[in-house]
Amino acid sequence: MKLEEFMTTKIEFIDGDGSVYDAIEKMVDRRIRSLVVRFPGKETEHGVITARDIVFRALAKEINPKSIKISEIASKPLFCVDSSMTLDEVTRVMEEHNVARIFVCERENIIGVISLLDLMAATLIIRARGDYDT
Amino acid sequence: MILEKILSKGKKERGVIENIRRHIKLLCTAFETFKSALETNNRNLMRNVVDLEREGDSIRREIISSIYEGAFLPYLRPDLCKFVEIVDDVFDLVKDTASHYLDAEIPDQIKGECVKVALLNVRICEMLLITFEAMLEGKDLREKTLAIRIYEKRIDDIKFSLIKEAREIPTRNFWEGKILSDFMSGLTMISDIIEDASDYLQMINVSMR
Repeated sequence: MKLEEFMTTKIEFIDGDGSVYDAIEKMVDRRIRSLVVRFPGKETEHGVITARDIVFRALAKEINPKSIKISEIASKPLFCVDSSMTLDEVTRVMEEHNVARIFVCERENIIGVISLLDLMAATLIIRARGDYDT
Repeated sequence: MILEKILSKGKKERGVIENIRRHIKLLCTAFETFKSALETNNRNLMRNVVDLEREGDSIRREIISSIYEGAFLPYLRPDLCKFVEIVDDVFDLVKDTASHYLDAEIPDQIKGECVKVALLNVRICEMLLITFEAMLEGKDLREKTLAIRIYEKRIDDIKFSLIKEAREIPTRNFWEGKILSDFMSGLTMISDIIEDASDYLQMINVSMR
C-alpha cells in the first residue's frame, strides 16, 4: 500500500511574518496541530509550526503570542520524504529526527503530511489486511 | 473454519456462504468501478455501477430465499439476513451516488477529495470481505473491525473538509446544490453502513462461540 493512502493532503500554510496568535487562531479554527510556514521572498523554503512549538516556545514562557512572529519559533527546514518510500522507511526517518509528523514532497512541492497517528493507523490496517494484497 | 465446520455441512449452507462472498466481491467491484469512473470522468463507466447494483440485488434475493428455505440454524438466520440486507443497502447507496454523479458536475475544488473517499470506500469494502473470510475461519475479528473503524474515521475527517469547501462553491439553482450535496452525503455515508455490516459480522461471530 502506498504512502499516499495514509497521508493527509490538506496542508494549511501561514506566513512567517504573522504573529503566533494568528497561527493559534488558524489551528483552532481548522482543528489541526501544525501549519507549514512560508517565508516571504523565499518561495521554496518552508518551515513548520506545531502546537508543541507554540506551547513550549511561547505560551509556557509567558510570551505574548501577539507580540512574537511565527518565524521566530517555527522549525526549519521541513523534514520531507519521497512518496515512494515505505512506511518502515518513514518510521525510521521520524524516529531518527524525533519528529511527530513528516511531510511528503514531490520535487519542491509538499503533497501531504504523515503524523504518528497516521503511521499507527496504517500499521494496524496492514496487520488487519494480512496477505490480502499479495 | 468454525462457522463452516458447524454449519456448512449442507449444500444449502455452502451455497449461501459462496453467494455472500460473491455479493461482497461484487460490491468491491462496484466501488472500484465508481472510483475509476470518478477519477477519469467516465460517465459510461459510472452507468455500470447501476448494472452492478441490479446484479447484487439478484444475488441478495437468492441468498435470502436459500436462508428461508432452511439453510443454517434458525437462531442464525435473522442475523445473516440482516447482514445481507445491510450489504444491499450499501449497493443501493453506491447506485444512488452514481446517479447523482451522472446528474451533477463535480467542481474541481472537491474532486480530489471525492476521489480519495472513493478509494477509501474500495479499501473499506475489501476489509469487509477480509472480515467475512476471517469469520468463516473462526478468527478473532477485533483487528479487522478496528481497521474498518479507522477507514471510517478517515472518511469522516474528509467529510468535514468537503462540507467546508462546498460552502464556497457557487450554485446556479437549488437543484444543482441539492444534487451535489446528495452526491457528497452518499459518498461519505457508505463507510458508516459498512461499519454497521462489520458489527453484524462481529455479532454473528460471537454468537457462534
